[in-house]
Amino acid sequence: MMSTNMILRARGLKKYYGEGDTQVRALDGINLDIERGKFTAIIGTSGSGKSTLLNMLGGLDTPSAGSILVGNTELSKLSSEEATIFRRKQIGFVFQNYNLIPVLSVWENIIFPIALDGRKPDRKFIMRIVNLLGLEKKLDSLPGMLSGGQQQRAAIARALASKPSIILADEPTGNLDTKTSDDVIGLLKMTSKKFSQTIVMITHNPEIARMADCVIRIEDGKIAAQQEAYE
Amino acid sequence: MRQVFQPIKVLNSRTFRKNKGRNLVAVLAIIMTSLMFTTLFTLAQSMNRNLIEMTFRQTGSDAHISFRSITQEELAQLAAHPDVAQTSASLVLGVADSSQLGGRQVEIRWAQDDYAQHSFSLPATGSMPQSADEIALDTIALDRLGIPHELGQAVTLSWYPGQSSGEESLTSTFTLCGFWEGNESSYASMAWVSQDFAREQSLSQDGETSSGAQSYTAMVNLYDDGRLEEDISRILADTGLSSLEYSVNLAYSPEMGAAAFQESIPMYLGMVLVFLAGYLIIYNIFQISVTADVQFYGQLKTLGTTTRQIKRLIYSQSNRLCLIGIPIGLILGWLLGMVLVPVMMGMAEGEHTVSANPLIFLGSALFAWVTVTLSCLRPARLAGKVSPIEALRASDNTSYRRKKTRRRRLGSVSLASMAWANLWRSPKRTITVICSLTLGLVLLSCFYAHSNSFDMDKYLADLTIADFELDDATDSDYLGGYDPQGTTLNDSLVSQLESMEGVESTGHLYSGRLDWQMDEQTYENMRTFYTDERLADWASYDPSGAQAMQAAFDSCEVSAVIWGLDGIPLDMITQERYILEGSFDPEVFASGDSILAVGPSIDLEGGAPEEPLPAPTPGTAIELGGRTYTVMAVVYPLNPITEGAPQTGSPDMPELSFILPADIFRQLWPDNTLRRLYLNADDAHLEEISSFLEEYTSSVDTTLPVTSRETMADQYEAELRSSSVLGSAVSIVIALVGVLNFINSMVTAIVSRRREFAMIQSVGMTKRQLCRMLVFEGLYYAAITLAASYLISSLAVGIVIRAMVAGGFTTFRFTLLPLILCTPVLLFFAVLIPYICFKNVERMSITERLRME
Repeated sequence: MMSTNMILRARGLKKYYGEGDTQVRALDGINLDIERGKFTAIIGTSGSGKSTLLNMLGGLDTPSAGSILVGNTELSKLSSEEATIFRRKQIGFVFQNYNLIPVLSVWENIIFPIALDGRKPDRKFIMRIVNLLGLEKKLDSLPGMLSGGQQQRAAIARALASKPSIILADEPTGNLDTKTSDDVIGLLKMTSKKFSQTIVMITHNPEIARMADCVIRIEDGKIAAQQEAYE
Repeated sequence: MRQVFQPIKVLNSRTFRKNKGRNLVAVLAIIMTSLMFTTLFTLAQSMNRNLIEMTFRQTGSDAHISFRSITQEELAQLAAHPDVAQTSASLVLGVADSSQLGGRQVEIRWAQDDYAQHSFSLPATGSMPQSADEIALDTIALDRLGIPHELGQAVTLSWYPGQSSGEESLTSTFTLCGFWEGNESSYASMAWVSQDFAREQSLSQDGETSSGAQSYTAMVNLYDDGRLEEDISRILADTGLSSLEYSVNLAYSPEMGAAAFQESIPMYLGMVLVFLAGYLIIYNIFQISVTADVQFYGQLKTLGTTTRQIKRLIYSQSNRLCLIGIPIGLILGWLLGMVLVPVMMGMAEGEHTVSANPLIFLGSALFAWVTVTLSCLRPARLAGKVSPIEALRASDNTSYRRKKTRRRRLGSVSLASMAWANLWRSPKRTITVICSLTLGLVLLSCFYAHSNSFDMDKYLADLTIADFELDDATDSDYLGGYDPQGTTLNDSLVSQLESMEGVESTGHLYSGRLDWQMDEQTYENMRTFYTDERLADWASYDPSGAQAMQAAFDSCEVSAVIWGLDGIPLDMITQERYILEGSFDPEVFASGDSILAVGPSIDLEGGAPEEPLPAPTPGTAIELGGRTYTVMAVVYPLNPITEGAPQTGSPDMPELSFILPADIFRQLWPDNTLRRLYLNADDAHLEEISSFLEEYTSSVDTTLPVTSRETMADQYEAELRSSSVLGSAVSIVIALVGVLNFINSMVTAIVSRRREFAMIQSVGMTKRQLCRMLVFEGLYYAAITLAASYLISSLAVGIVIRAMVAGGFTTFRFTLLPLILCTPVLLFFAVLIPYICFKNVERMSITERLRME
């Protein structure tokens, strides 16, 4: 049984590529529990399996073995179509390369997952996010006309807009300069606090990791260390 | 503040605008596809309609049902039936003496206007006759009578009352009150007279039939032409008139529909080809565009777009393309159809109708749309299946599976081998392109080889053996029979023609007939040839002919037709290849003691016949008309010699034909006049003779039938052209589609690899090398296509086309000319397209391209 406070639980998570001599073990038995409303940072060297783990937690990738429980939903039991629908309702993604759709305006990008779901966006709520992120003047612009920081803020707005239970962020500041990074992370943390959302973020930046409630270090597909921050 | 946001719709329209080039190619392909569908549908429909129209004209009416003999009371009863839409009647008074009309049958009739209308004989100028001295005629009859097409002209006709020409003839003079364009394919012309005239005549003939029980011919139309046979017998039963004989118009019979369908089979086959070609190119475009956009679809997936939504996105893209392409294609296709219909039916007489049935457009649009949608099936599935995680790092080469074959270790990498490897990075795309190019080229070769196999000489040999053939006016009068004392080819005309400058050779044909008691050997030969099986087969399509043959077996009596030949026809028919049995010795033949028998028209290329021919055996002696002849040989019944109507008064017996020298013939039948004159002239004087004959037939004797080789050849050319137009059009479109495919695939392959090229350049490949590598890729495409095309075309032409053209007026010639002509074109494209693409890529700097996502 999962305690009511756990929003995400992974057990025996494995992901292998290839066979025999050339087999790559991207994830090699990961057990993980993430508490609701917490900010968790995943750190590790490149190739350690961080991104694979994150994608798997979001249902973008399927594990070779093991189970992932998001809320009360077992991801491995979902068909790919169900997983897609689950994802757009329950999980907000923030990617290093923003992943904004170039032909849609900022506003359209933000409400895109909600519209795909056939729901009506909660305008009031989204406008609050937009104001918090300082995007109100850019809503009609196309992503190509924005700076990197603005684009990433738009992506964060999109991730928050559908009120997901978890936000998964893969190096959201990887393409941003230090000043903008700090802003973006600050905003991300602030908004998630405000809307009591759970964040799991991959980062290389020790500064950012230090801001997290919990830091998990991955090495060679395994959890090398997990440490709670005591503030 | 903002409208409801429909993500798929918005994405559709925004991405649509982004991919202008690709969409242009796709729209062109869709236009081409719907254009071809529309053209083929229009052709099929129009041919259908024209075929029915032609049948109408041949049967002489477009009414549903006709009655040969019905009284006015009976007709009134029928007209009162609720299922009968319209009735009209006509009364035959007699037939005109055909000798004044060059053998044309002209019926003297009174008719209601509707009747005239249904028999295509309603006066276009003037009106139907009202008073007893008025007559309306068609232009054929007017021309034969030598009367100008003007109302008010006096028309004097000698005619036979009653339905046959057996009785005494009357002569009547009328005023022309109306005329219309005659229809050559109809068996007879109508001469309409007034009801008053009809009344006068029937009164003067005999009192009985004029009492109102006169027998009329009638036409009846029902409301529904679906099942005429059943409907009319029901109506007749309802009205108690079941004893009436009726005939249902052939044009409405199911057999007619089947025949029309058969005529349009090539169109339907063409549609299958168009579907294939359209499918190949549109599939290719979408496949390529999905591959190029795989990251985009992955991104959409990541953000929560479902497979169904992605598929919908692709289908709405294709529908949008259809919305632009199909209407244009429909219009252009119909216009092309309008141009092609007359060409297709160019040689057939009469005007043509180009069908504008809305079904054509609905059908074509539907077909085109189905083609496009089917083409999108696989690409849509592919896009829907994109896994988000793959898309996050995907590029064009993800589908590239490393080949199992071992590579040479530490071997050198040549540009050619790199290009070869590049070619197979997406084998499906490469194979699709090669297949569509090959299909076009193979079809082109096949169509060309097919139309090229028509043999002008063979075709003409069947129709004419001399530059000019002149016949007696009654030569083709199958109704009245040939008059052996006809005067069309009188001595002055013949001597005038034969003495004309440039005439190289001449030939004469006379004919006569007599009853002949078959000798034993001939009887034996006939019996052996006409087995019961053959007779049964004959009876299935010509019962009376088979019956007559059976009767001849019982009585041993047949009709002997004697041809007297000299000059061109004799030289022709005694050629080695036309001698079926025996041998020909001109000197012995000229003596008059020998005779040639005419055999059956067997396949000349089939080798020597195994069974005895149904003719006297060469070497035996036969007695004909009191003289004894030795049968020298059996010859082939060469059409330009043996064609023509039987002599007037021939009994209904099978005919056996014999050939005698013309001078011997004339001694035996001194009264018989020349039936046919053959003339050969040198090329320089053909024109002169031709214009002389034209002058003669228009001013001196309008009835003289002239056959000129030149006109025949012209007609043949027209026929040939029309049959190859469609074939070439289809294959050219397919070849074009192939080239478009090739361009499209080359462009996409290069554009989607811009970044990769930048990378290769950054590690030291020069522009020249890169360009050469791309050209190599293009050349590989071309080389594989050409190799496949040559191989498959050789097989297709050598086996399939050879089999298809066997028989008929064809001589198979192996040719791959279109392929040879296309080879340099294809190679040129193979170099040009990569070069242009490369130039395009080159405009961006290496770093710019490296930075590209």
